[in-house]
Amino acid sequence: MKRFLIELEKVGKEYGFGTAALTVLKEVELSIGEGEFVGFVGASGSGKTTLMNILGCLDRPSHGKYFLQGDDISSLSDDRLSRIRNQRIGFVFQSFNLIPELTVLENVEVPLFYKKTARGKRKAKCMSLLDAVGLSERTTHHPAQLSGGECQRVAIARALVNEPTVLLADEPTGNLDSRSGAEILKLFHDLHRSGKTILMVTHNLEIASGLPRVVELKDGRVLSDRTRSETAEVVEV
Amino acid sequence: MWGERLAEIFFLGMKNLMRNKLRSFLTMLGMIFGVGSVIAMLSVGAGARHEILSRIQELGICNIILNSVQPPEETKAEDIAWMSHHGLTFKDAEYIEGTIPTVKKLLRVNLVKQRISYGSKRIEASVLGVEPEHLAMFGLDVSRGRRFNMIDSATCARVCIIRKDLVKQLKTVDDPLDMVLKIGMRSFHVIGVLADEQFRSHTRKALAIDGRSQEVYIPYSSSMRTFGTMNYFRRAGSREISEVELDQIIVQAESSDKVLPTSMMTAAMLKNFHDKKDYEIVVPLELLQQSEETQRIFNVVMVLIASISLIVGGIGIANIMLATITERTREIGIRRALGAQRRDIMIQFLTETVAIAAVGGLLGALFGVVAILGIVEFTQWKALIEPHYIIISLGISCSVGILFGIFPARRAAFMDPIAALRHE
Repeated sequence: MKRFLIELEKVGKEYGFGTAALTVLKEVELSIGEGEFVGFVGASGSGKTTLMNILGCLDRPSHGKYFLQGDDISSLSDDRLSRIRNQRIGFVFQSFNLIPELTVLENVEVPLFYKKTARGKRKAKCMSLLDAVGLSERTTHHPAQLSGGECQRVAIARALVNEPTVLLADEPTGNLDSRSGAEILKLFHDLHRSGKTILMVTHNLEIASGLPRVVELKDGRVLSDRTRSETAEVVEV
Repeated sequence: MWGERLAEIFFLGMKNLMRNKLRSFLTMLGMIFGVGSVIAMLSVGAGARHEILSRIQELGICNIILNSVQPPEETKAEDIAWMSHHGLTFKDAEYIEGTIPTVKKLLRVNLVKQRISYGSKRIEASVLGVEPEHLAMFGLDVSRGRRFNMIDSATCARVCIIRKDLVKQLKTVDDPLDMVLKIGMRSFHVIGVLADEQFRSHTRKALAIDGRSQEVYIPYSSSMRTFGTMNYFRRAGSREISEVELDQIIVQAESSDKVLPTSMMTAAMLKNFHDKKDYEIVVPLELLQQSEETQRIFNVVMVLIASISLIVGGIGIANIMLATITERTREIGIRRALGAQRRDIMIQFLTETVAIAAVGGLLGALFGVVAILGIVEFTQWKALIEPHYIIISLGISCSVGILFGIFPARRAAFMDPIAALRHE
């Protein structure tokens, strides 16, 4: 049995074949325990998006093994991966990725729909989550009628609706002004305090400095992996 | 559970259609024309079949009609100078009646062309000398007055039954019943008026009734006594006399499956007795089979045309669905990230395609019905519109939707979720 929630063993990722092959990740070793809040930083091209895709079960590693709650994800079929994404992972994207044609409530319902939850139950659950993110008044609005911060809160409600094991956030504040960005960040910290495991990609060093653990990537390798006190020192320097 | 889910997916599909009404409608057009033409074709086919059936009914499904005809010219020229003798004979009738076991009844008809006069008005008429059962056999009902009876036959009574139209042509307002008409040189008493307006034209042809002249029925015996077997034709100054013993013989077979053997035996027998082809055999059942054959060819051609337009319609739908999928790539990516399996995406887009096709099919059925009603209004076509067309059109359109929806839906389902998420 694995002791950690997430364990990566020598995970590598390559695109293309032969001489044209491009190595994006090289022998990444990483263990993340339950309830951790981990930030991923690094320049563009450092491989953090690819790593997030693998952690989010959207992509499979070319080499190595990925254990999520002790299950080896690296060799699962597409359908099994879809089910894992549905039930164990919540995504929050930089560009919100709400479906514009659906209302706020319907957007939050989507993961439950694929979990085959009955209709009545679905609605009750979504309403309570929207209430929790402070959007209970806006359930019938369409995403275009909401501000960026509100959109991101809908996305967070959607990510939480299936009670996932891991929350993956890809620059969740990247498209927001500083005030709503701070609000969203506070929401993540609150979630962390309530025991959620959160993995967050960010460019913003200020945000990263506030996180308990930061993993820095460079050229597809883990450059550093520091807990809070160490990060703080780096920022001070 | 599954029903509810499918209903939900269908509802979502309909919502997506409603969002872009013009595009959805244009996409449906192919389907509308395709299904419309199928429905039009079906109703015309059904109308034609109905028409044929009623035509056969008019002639009687068990009947075989033998007509005397003028033999081909060449034999006549060298044969007899002043009078031709041709057609069916009394002997023919006797032999057929006496030797063919499947004959149930045989009726003789003596047909003469005579001038009918009433007051100063004169018209040409086909005078049919018929036996009493004749009228019942062809479903001719007397709306007023009575039919012929045995006494009329036995006494060679000078009585006649006419059609309503005849009265109109005589331009009289007198009550047709009990009217006294002059047929040729003799007076006949009108004892009955027929209910139906007219025979259909093909029935008239089969019964050798001249298209322009009116029919008047008199008892066979009276016809033989009054007019005999001689026929006079006046043609451009010359006079032609021909002798025809029996103008028409109507043979009724025991049952409809005995009709063809009976007609074959009759044909063989007549061929023995006649060295010229001076008779024709009309078998309504054969007419039915012939017309079914032509109907089948018509159907094959129409099905081909309809399927071409359905295929074109289907391609149109597939094309639009491909465009829609490109437009909605990001949505597909989001759904995949949130846990939709390939199957879910596939079902979603397939449902949307089927929804377009089904709505198009229903509109097409409507269009077809309206079109056929319009066509019937302006032509002589017969059409029959039946309620099960709605199921047929739904069936056709849904299958076209599935057939042409599979490719776009598969394409959507097999998109790479990461690339789809990044799609702008």
